[in-house]
Amino acid sequence: MDITFLLNGETVVLNGVAPTTTLLDWLREERGLTGTKEGCNEGDCGACTVMVTDESGPRALNACILFLPQLHGRAVRTVEGVSGPDGTLHPVQQAMVEHHGSQCGFCTPGFIMSMATAHARGATDHDDQLAGNLCRCTGYAPIIRAARSAEGTPVPEWMADEVPGSTPPAPTASGPWMPASTDELATIYAAHPEAVLVAGATDVGLWVTKALRELDEVIFLGRCDDLKAVEVTEASIRFGAMVDMNTVRATLAPLFPSYGEMIRRYGSTQVRNAATIGGNIANGSPIGDNPPALIALGATLHLRKGEIRRDLPIEDYFLDYGKQDRAPGEFVEAVTIPRQTDRLKCYKLSKRFDQDISAVCGCFNVTIEDGTVRAARIAFGGMAGVPKRAAAVEAALVGQPWTEATVAAAQAAFDHDFTPMSDMRASAGYRLASAKAMLARYLAEDMGEGASVLEVRA
Amino acid sequence: MPDTLAHPVRFGSNAGQPVTRRDGIAKVTGTATFTADNSPENLLHAVYVPATIARGRVTHLDVAAAEAHPGVTMVMTPGNRPALQGDPSAKPTMFSFRIEVLQDDSVRYAGQPIALVLGETLEAATEGARLLNPRYAAEPARTRIDDDEAAPVEPGGFGRPAGVEHGDVAAGHAAATKAIDVTYETSAQYHNAMETHAVVAQWEGDKLSLDVPSQALLMSCAGYAYFFGIPAENVTIRAPYLGGGFGSKAIPTGPQVLAILAAKETGRPVKLMLTRQQMFGPVGHRGATRQRLRLGIDDGAALTVIDHEGLAATSSFDDFVEPAANASQGLYAAGALRSAHRAVRLDVGTPGPMRAPGEASGSAALECAMDEMAEAAGIDPLEFRLRNYAETEPGTGKPYSSKALRECYMQGAERFGWSGRPLLPRQMKDENGLLTGWGMGTALFPCPMFAADARATLRSDGSALVETSAIDMGQGAWTALAQIAADSLGLPLDMVEFRAGHSSLPDGGVAGGSGHTATAGGALHAAGGDVIRQLGEIAAADPESPLHGAGNAAFSARDGRLYVDGDDSRSDSFADILARAGSAELVGNGSASRAPEDAEKFSMHSHGAVFAEVKVDPDLCQVRVTRMVGAFAAGRIINPKLAESQLLGGMIWGISFALHEEAKHDPRTGRIVNADFAGYHVPVNADVTGLEVLTVHEDDPYVNALGIKGVGEIGIVGSVGAIANAIWHATGHRIRRFPIRIEDLLTA
Repeated sequence: MDITFLLNGETVVLNGVAPTTTLLDWLREERGLTGTKEGCNEGDCGACTVMVTDESGPRALNACILFLPQLHGRAVRTVEGVSGPDGTLHPVQQAMVEHHGSQCGFCTPGFIMSMATAHARGATDHDDQLAGNLCRCTGYAPIIRAARSAEGTPVPEWMADEVPGSTPPAPTASGPWMPASTDELATIYAAHPEAVLVAGATDVGLWVTKALRELDEVIFLGRCDDLKAVEVTEASIRFGAMVDMNTVRATLAPLFPSYGEMIRRYGSTQVRNAATIGGNIANGSPIGDNPPALIALGATLHLRKGEIRRDLPIEDYFLDYGKQDRAPGEFVEAVTIPRQTDRLKCYKLSKRFDQDISAVCGCFNVTIEDGTVRAARIAFGGMAGVPKRAAAVEAALVGQPWTEATVAAAQAAFDHDFTPMSDMRASAGYRLASAKAMLARYLAEDMGEGASVLEVRA
Repeated sequence: MPDTLAHPVRFGSNAGQPVTRRDGIAKVTGTATFTADNSPENLLHAVYVPATIARGRVTHLDVAAAEAHPGVTMVMTPGNRPALQGDPSAKPTMFSFRIEVLQDDSVRYAGQPIALVLGETLEAATEGARLLNPRYAAEPARTRIDDDEAAPVEPGGFGRPAGVEHGDVAAGHAAATKAIDVTYETSAQYHNAMETHAVVAQWEGDKLSLDVPSQALLMSCAGYAYFFGIPAENVTIRAPYLGGGFGSKAIPTGPQVLAILAAKETGRPVKLMLTRQQMFGPVGHRGATRQRLRLGIDDGAALTVIDHEGLAATSSFDDFVEPAANASQGLYAAGALRSAHRAVRLDVGTPGPMRAPGEASGSAALECAMDEMAEAAGIDPLEFRLRNYAETEPGTGKPYSSKALRECYMQGAERFGWSGRPLLPRQMKDENGLLTGWGMGTALFPCPMFAADARATLRSDGSALVETSAIDMGQGAWTALAQIAADSLGLPLDMVEFRAGHSSLPDGGVAGGSGHTATAGGALHAAGGDVIRQLGEIAAADPESPLHGAGNAAFSARDGRLYVDGDDSRSDSFADILARAGSAELVGNGSASRAPEDAEKFSMHSHGAVFAEVKVDPDLCQVRVTRMVGAFAAGRIINPKLAESQLLGGMIWGISFALHEEAKHDPRTGRIVNADFAGYHVPVNADVTGLEVLTVHEDDPYVNALGIKGVGEIGIVGSVGAIANAIWHATGHRIRRFPIRIEDLLTA
């Protein structure tokens, strides 16, 4: 594949790049730019963070799980391209020196790039902006102080990148492909149903860097701008499959604050910048955090194969572990959430509070009228081989008074709904106990009572 | 406490100042070069294959498939591995481990190297390694502490701790009117420095040049030299920056030796860099422990006995037994003291020292036990510790070289607001209904010194070059040691060129045991002093010098001038003294180590007190550490900025120990299932809020010439117990296993 992009302000033209060469390997091995570090090679540590600018502005991304074709038509800055041409330090670099933000310094280039990107965007929620950068010397406090002190300083003029935004490379018969529209994607995918679709590569990246898989046919979705649409109407919110998770968060946080907060913890800024809602759903992971929330909200999934489109309730998409209701050549085009009064609470339980895969993610959407449960949509991740509704629990609630007694009775129904497994994240017993506790917590919060009255035991 | 130091040092000059890191700019611009950033011409990449079983034999490797892959240049297996001159099971240096270098087809733990593949590109070598597709004859893996019989430890230096016994332990038990008998467990933890282990090896004849992250340059030279049958001086190591070490980068490891061997065999430079997953195997870890503590008190809540037994996991083929029980022997006054260690052999990589080895695990158990004992006595945990405050070293009665622990308790408690703490658990809730608890722990860490040399060269322009093979693994040696050197020479910091991180320099010793600043700094201090002494002799003998004839007077050096002590009217500049003597430069040498008689006379320790607040969700049992205050007395602080970062970092490691870190083995395969940063949790920034460090001033005239005690490790020590005790105070549940999991609280 032939691609072109800007690297630290200079045009780079690469011909015949392998579709799965990562930006990190290329920078370090081919380009000799070793400021960008490898700490984990799977998007967990942020040592390889770079700044990638497209039409929507600059974003921090992990270079280790970013394939070169994803950069086509974009502008990349690495730590080598943050200081001025005369060596003048960027304000965040200056602040990191002054506030003693480096210790061993191995993570520092990644922090600098996260900070420079946040600085360019005017973001000041530093704890969240930097949650995806690990420092094993754990010098977080001085780093946050540095970020704070650089707030509001002008963005140096040398950081301005003209986004090349060139047209996609010409399609070839054998791929890899980079369609420019959903229609084009539909045609290519129908003809090549074995191809791997690459959206943000936060998962596919690991197939390559960790599982060492060869990908024969690859379709990059990054140029399908019509898959990135967000439509908010009186009746619904519709996300195109390629909407990234930071945009999903920004859209949903005012409407469903609990969902917004769950997304904040669901990954780092770098991962949310890359990850897409369509990818998260299509993947079918039993521990993905979007599906239980979307199920609880009664979302509809829109699938497309060629010219044929079909809709289904999102819970019906997940058939079994690793198996989804998706035909060869069919792809997730969008997901629609009906507008509703916000009754949603998402409880994400993880070993580490921030930036960790859920042990259990429970999402509750219970409608009460005159003290009686009129409707309930409750769904879980981490409790079965698929994201799954708690049908028996819902049935035990509907029509009953919204009371502790009802909740206590409904808790027993969890045993009918779920037979969770024990793994390294949690034991089966713990998963079941915490799921029950979540229902009690939902009631307690609803009643506005201090949660302490509802001590829950396994 | 004497008012002045026995060996005067100059406060208020460079040392003691919060000087900004001198390597800061290199680090924020990405120009600081770490090992794997080096790519010499004609480089080959090495990738090793880690065993995917924990015990057994490799029965087949598809060498043909790997060799046939384009770009693969060599496949090294036990069948064709070239000979090493040294025995992989020997221990050539003070801190050594038996290494795995394809000496046979046996597998002793998951992650052990079983083959090495060289390729023209990293990708080719990686694919070649994958294609080897090993088959095994596997035996059942022993990875849990109960999977085999425990045996007593034969004491024998590094990794084989002796126990301690003082007083009549049986009588101590008998005299107790209240007693506890509790068992705590700690998990296997992996260092996981952000920079993974790596090496770039180049041979020229029988001379070996290495880029390798090392916490002990000269010792590593000797270690590598041993395996290749060459003199240590034939090995050169460049390690200007380490991306963290935490104890795991002190000695040669199997994969690094294999890469060096490959470079020798091929005659080309070879680079090997471990993946994050490979960090969970051949490069050491903190071994799991189970510790039984029996404490007794009399009616006045005075401890009659501390009886601490540790069981620690080590590998099937080497000894590193976590000296956890010894952590309880130097801290509290007790009528009788006993510590003992046993070991169990498991199919895991050999453990090794990891930030505060012994103390971190041992103190976690001890401080919780102290809290339980205070609870049984019905008195405040701080009050209980004060009642058992040791004025002299427990058991030996030796005086402390200095001990401001009482001040740490008082200042820390004051800052934290400890006095408002309810005695009973489960009494506090915040405005959101979260259970809130306060806990505390005492920190203790010894002050070892290694041996180091340094050289200072005063130049004719009045500037100086100071050199030692010191190591900066993040703690700030480039800055703190340069400050000490500048002080010793009476020069401003910007007049001093500091060289370190290269094995050709005078031996800077070992960056470990929190003793590097004291040791390398002591050598630099002595080297600077040697220059000043010689300079004084020259000036005193020089009729043209204002200092002429002041032969018996002491001189002091300030801002590039030599002064007669107490008479500022008589001085001479360094440059002038050298110029008149016709000297282009003046070289001074220094070395540092601890005088054995001082070590005999005094108990030397850093101390601290850590106070923690946690909040626990009563339904979901999620735990957040919301506030911590650590007050530490660690002798003289060379650079408050650097020291604060070290202490904060230690406290965050304490959070990590208490709540996060645990390598979990699959009992079927023996593999670690969370061998990556997705599953092996270290704290992220968002996990850490509201931490504060206080340093309590201490002048210690005995610990070493500079009065430095070290700050690298003590931060973790009291923190683990403080957090666990706060969790008890919030919930009423004693969780006696680390890390404390949500699950433990939910089902408590």
